[in-house]
Amino acid sequence: MKWLRHPALHGLLGLVVGGVFLYACWDKILEPRKFAAIVYRYQVIGPSQTLGFLPANLLAVTLPWVELLVGALLVTGFWRREAAALAGGLLIVFLAAVGIATAQGIDLQNCGCFSVAEHGGRAAGWTLVAGDLALLLVCAVLALVPARRADAAAPAGAPVAAH
Amino acid sequence: MRAWRIAAIVLTGIGLGLCWNAASGRGFALGGNAFLKAGDQIVEIPAAEAKQRLEQGALVLDARGWEFYKMGHIPGSLNLPMEDFENAFQKLEPKLRGSFDIIVYCAGYGCEASHITVRQLKEKGVHAVILNEGWPAWQDAGYPTREGEQP
Repeated sequence: MKWLRHPALHGLLGLVVGGVFLYACWDKILEPRKFAAIVYRYQVIGPSQTLGFLPANLLAVTLPWVELLVGALLVTGFWRREAAALAGGLLIVFLAAVGIATAQGIDLQNCGCFSVAEHGGRAAGWTLVAGDLALLLVCAVLALVPARRADAAAPAGAPVAAH
Repeated sequence: MRAWRIAAIVLTGIGLGLCWNAASGRGFALGGNAFLKAGDQIVEIPAAEAKQRLEQGALVLDARGWEFYKMGHIPGSLNLPMEDFENAFQKLEPKLRGSFDIIVYCAGYGCEASHITVRQLKEKGVHAVILNEGWPAWQDAGYPTREGEQP
């Protein structure tokens, strides 16, 4: 599985996942109110009588910026392993939120993944889950399999440089 | 992999998000409903109060679409769909102007139709309040509902 450590592969995978995260955050940053409305629909962290609006609003306001940083780091390759680990964590949390909302019978017509438009966006379903699992797999590779250093001749059995 | 880097990314993201919310002009008050805008004087009432006021003669408006209204609505409520506000308003105008107490509801959290409708009504000189958490709150309270086209 040496090819999994190839720096060019890591660069390409980082570009793909990072690009997805950068694309995903844009609409949410520009329209935080609309993204908050989508977070409300999930009903996972409120709003509710006990939690109020604060947790859902905080998530709506801050999550897109974490996505932006993760996307930028993955694309540029700076702190790539940490960014990939965080991206994987975000994907797991997102999949859990979709699962909880769906189990509660909530029809998520717009998952809030890429668009915050009231009519439009991507509905939560198996296609979405499959896509996120694929991204999760890529994140796992980037986070868990260290890339060879690009300038290293890397003879067989040479120690792997930490990224 | 270093944990502090992950923490740094998260904390920087949170910081940027809060700054953007405070300074961009696109933000909103984090402690309240994101649908409320600065200067809004919208009143939200719980389902129990809405039921009490309905029994005392309040007019209830359903701001969801016609199809949703037919699937189930608060008995006595009239459909004033946000998407077709002007037409619906014209039909209901005499009744709206003759009502002393108007309550608007929509599909609950995540639905902005009731807030938009209340603002549009205000522009027409009609004051209305919002049923907090909308239709789901009414259903969850176990209050009567009705299906079909009849109010």
